[in-house]
Amino acid sequence: MTKVLLKDIRKRFGTVEVIRGVDLEIEDGEFVVFVGPSGCGKSTLLRLISGLEHISEGELSIGGRIVNEVPAAKRGVAMVFQSYALYPHLTVRDNMGFGLKVRKVPAGERARRVSEAASTLKLEPLLDRFPRQLSGGQRQRVAIGRAIVGNPDVFLFDEPLSNLDAELRVHMRSEIAALHQRLSTTMIYVTHDQIEAMTLADKIVVLREGKIEQVGTPRVLYKSPGTIFVAQFIGSPKMNILPLADGQPISHGASVPATAVSVGIRPEHLSLVQPSAETLRGKVRLAEYTGAVTLIHVELDGGQTCLVIHNQGTMPEISAEVGLKAAPEHLHFFDKEGCAV
Amino acid sequence: MAGTASRDNAARQPGAPWLTLKTREMLEAWLFVSPTFIGFLIFFLGPLVAIFYYSMTEWNLLSQQATFVGLRNFENALLENPDFWHVVRNSVIFALGLVPLNIALALSLALALSRPFFGVVFFRTVFFAPVVTSAIAWAIVWKFMLQGEGGAVNQMLAWIGIDGPNWLREPNWAMAAVIVTRVIKMVGLNMILYIAALQSIPRDYEEAATLEGASRWQVFRMITWPLLAPTTLVIMVLTTIGSFKVFDHIYQMTGGGPENGTLVLAFYIYQQGFKFFNVGYAAALALIMFAIVMALTLVQVMLRRRDME
Repeated sequence: MTKVLLKDIRKRFGTVEVIRGVDLEIEDGEFVVFVGPSGCGKSTLLRLISGLEHISEGELSIGGRIVNEVPAAKRGVAMVFQSYALYPHLTVRDNMGFGLKVRKVPAGERARRVSEAASTLKLEPLLDRFPRQLSGGQRQRVAIGRAIVGNPDVFLFDEPLSNLDAELRVHMRSEIAALHQRLSTTMIYVTHDQIEAMTLADKIVVLREGKIEQVGTPRVLYKSPGTIFVAQFIGSPKMNILPLADGQPISHGASVPATAVSVGIRPEHLSLVQPSAETLRGKVRLAEYTGAVTLIHVELDGGQTCLVIHNQGTMPEISAEVGLKAAPEHLHFFDKEGCAV
Repeated sequence: MAGTASRDNAARQPGAPWLTLKTREMLEAWLFVSPTFIGFLIFFLGPLVAIFYYSMTEWNLLSQQATFVGLRNFENALLENPDFWHVVRNSVIFALGLVPLNIALALSLALALSRPFFGVVFFRTVFFAPVVTSAIAWAIVWKFMLQGEGGAVNQMLAWIGIDGPNWLREPNWAMAAVIVTRVIKMVGLNMILYIAALQSIPRDYEEAATLEGASRWQVFRMITWPLLAPTTLVIMVLTTIGSFKVFDHIYQMTGGGPENGTLVLAFYIYQQGFKFFNVGYAAALALIMFAIVMALTLVQVMLRRRDME
């Protein structure tokens, strides 16, 4: 059982506290994604788990063993770096077998495990090539292969797809998901891309300024965001947040909590209708055609811009007066601290 | 022709410059490089061509008479004059002592000073300062420090009960003394090259290797050292060439002695050309030195390339 447990983890660089008390429980075999904007501390948290950074305060246990003072190599973790970190002077075979070699695993056993991992990742034809002779996707697979060979208890991925083009990213995403299904090992994955987080994770940890903002399944975070920050971070395009007064017409019929000061509506839950007293009213300012859907920017009478995903019916003209409507069950209410109510 | 000229004139817009943009840019470029280019022709290419000619003459600087003798000077050096091979042997010993010592020391210093810590800039400056110090001044100071009687080095050795030799006057010690003092003077340059190379190696490699269980020594041996290979090659080539060209150091510290024990090729060329005025012979020696350095460089490049493959 490789459960990862973080208890009030803190990390300070000099006087700056970048991780400010993180409590988290990661179950055995779970795929957990750390997500958040740049500088929120997600990579630092991963490095604390890996042992590449020293924990300033708190307790980290992996598989029931407190590992705060255990060297990185003895924590049973393997990491896939954003840059892949493939040694340029070694072949794919030697890159994958590097960890086993330094641990003095006999050559025969080493060759067997490298070839096993290579077969899992379809890397056999590339084993004698150097990293410079590989494409981005192939390098990524070798980096994953190098992690697999060590047979770790926990895989750590630090933004592994961010150097790939959009098409390859989608492909590698599915490969990583398939790998997790096959290995059923605990995986912790850092990304700033919320689509990656939504598609891969059993559990998403949203981080903000060194603290956990919310933890939950992708569905929970999407349907019941705990804060405005999560509501706007999860989902693309981001949720529209309107002051309750401006959003009054649309929340007609919904039970509005007494402490609510703002209302959130996802662009995909808004529909364009004829303007009336029971709709939000505004003018179309921009229409972005993306193929499957069109993203319409509507400037409300109050001056705020609302995004609407429009995928059926006729396209409104630019500057046309439109009404916006949403079903009451799709409305999210937030109090003045930005918390869901 | 008149037709062509009139066509050109017709194509030119009224008020447009006479020269095309490309021609003007080319002229500007030549204008900028011309001072350096003229200097190169007069002070480098000219003497280089001249030395080929002089090497095939018997030219005594005092008599001002140059007689063409073909390859006689080369025959003299390579086949007849035992001094030449003694001098080559000294140069090789100097290079064999200096190059590995310089590389080992430069790399050690670079490894210690490549990461930031309090005072790192001070230490880098301290080790680099001798590189920009006057070679003659450096040699004079060391000459005093290495004196047998009353030299600072021997005084310090005396504190720990060692009776130091007369470093620059004893044949066995003089070569070691000039090598070590030369290394101390020049090591800062190679240290800086190694620091730059170390800093360009992504930190991820070391972290990935550490996570995989490599010790610090294994990280150095299996990752850092191979990745430094191109820099090491450059340093080896430059230091070898520099060690064959060493002159000022020898001139000031030992004058080639004792018993010609530190008489190296560059200093021997100087002696032949400007003390004994055998300019033709000195020119031939210079070309032989050029060939030796070129051959050594090629061997080093080929060996490194084989290693990297």
